[in-house]
Amino acid sequence: MQWWCAAQGVPWEWRWRPYPGVWAFLLVVAATYTLVVRRQASRTPRSPENPPGGTERRRIVSFAVGLGALWVALDWPIGTLGAGYLVSVHMVQFLLISLAAPPLLLHGLPRELLQRLERPAPCQRLLRAVTHPVVALLTFNAVLIATHWPAAVDGLMASQAGSFLLDMAWLGAGGLFWWPIVSPVPARPGFPYPLKIGYLILNTVLVTAPFAFLTFSEWPFYRIYELAPPIAGIGTQQDQRLAGVLMKLGGGTILWTAAGVLFFRWYRAEGDPAKEPDAGSP
Amino acid sequence: MRTGDETVSRRPAWRILPVMILATWITACSPSERREAEERARDTGYRGILLSEPIPKPDFTLTDTRGEPFRFREETSGFVTLLFFGYTSCPDVCPVHMANLAAALRKLPYETRRRIRVLFVSTDPERDTPKRLREWLDQFDAGFIGLRGGLAEVNAVQARLGLPPAVRQGDLVGHASQVIAFAPDGLARVAYPFGSRQVDWYHDLPKLARIPPVP
Repeated sequence: MQWWCAAQGVPWEWRWRPYPGVWAFLLVVAATYTLVVRRQASRTPRSPENPPGGTERRRIVSFAVGLGALWVALDWPIGTLGAGYLVSVHMVQFLLISLAAPPLLLHGLPRELLQRLERPAPCQRLLRAVTHPVVALLTFNAVLIATHWPAAVDGLMASQAGSFLLDMAWLGAGGLFWWPIVSPVPARPGFPYPLKIGYLILNTVLVTAPFAFLTFSEWPFYRIYELAPPIAGIGTQQDQRLAGVLMKLGGGTILWTAAGVLFFRWYRAEGDPAKEPDAGSP
Repeated sequence: MRTGDETVSRRPAWRILPVMILATWITACSPSERREAEERARDTGYRGILLSEPIPKPDFTLTDTRGEPFRFREETSGFVTLLFFGYTSCPDVCPVHMANLAAALRKLPYETRRRIRVLFVSTDPERDTPKRLREWLDQFDAGFIGLRGGLAEVNAVQARLGLPPAVRQGDLVGHASQVIAFAPDGLARVAYPFGSRQVDWYHDLPKLARIPPVP
């Protein structure tokens, strides 16, 4: 039995497989979150803005949906198919782990927790440095390229530890990428709505290079998927092209949707200047 | 209360973090098989595994998917001949080999392609009827030749090539996983184990096709 999805080289079958490592990881995250939210609730007085529980319900729902997206991406069947059979499913995992889940998880974090995070001066300095939009954008794209490099995919996906490392790299880079957009802590008055929208759109442009390599390459990029036991009706080349298209269109859809949401928030904030400084919502 | 000294003492840990991550990455990513194939190509000219002794093309007759006798040595004379023993219910090695071979052949120029014959000999003659064998091969390339014979007959051919006999294990059949490549001169110099990639075929097949046939 595997604890984390990795390429095994065994023929694919539609039979459920358990991944205890995935469940343990998700349970630890969920339990920590519940603990923090409960502690928050005991400290925060009830108010219309803070209904029972201290943390707003929409934040809890957001975190739960983010965790759900992670579960779908990491567990059977998507986790299994993506780890050792289809590069297109591997791409779906990438989109879920690094682009869909992080903004939801970040948005779901209690504001007070984030504010506490930056109270120690070194933490604040570190947070400010790594969540600077330029640093975040460059780091995310560096991780994107490194984790889609054939040697990295072939080397890491063959082992459970490697596969885990890859998934965590995506999640970490995704968190970093979305932080300047979603999280108000540390506050960035110099990163207003137009720049946030530009930041997201710029990333849809940057992703074009790996998309082009995957989609238009004459040869299969990844040994692991080229030599994977076949799944009826899907050729290596079609699978790789689909992965490229998913990277571009799937990633683009998420980023453009977020940019659209920001645009409408900006539009609303223009009419209500009181909302402008709060850039806390995605 | 935190002091400036404490802050300084934490810095080295953060500084070496990227190095540690990079080191883990480099250790984890070891495309050794790719490197080995490239090194082989540098040393021997082929990305496939060079056989220690060239094997002459054996003379045997099996039945093709039209039910006609197929005289191997005679009908493949002067061609690059890729010979593989497998079965159509194979869940991994056989379809992967055939799919990659077909994909590489499609990328070769017609002049090279027309000098190559791919022969798939069934190691599961009970289930691989001529119709089933033909339909299965057509998924990859309609030009692939399917051959059948009694299992003892097929195993005798394999033995002459130094391959282990095929063994039925329930629904699966244990069989050799390498493709043996005969050059136009009738000698097998290279074998392609499972793990050979499209780019390896694309590199080696034109070289094999350039070997002149024996007059």
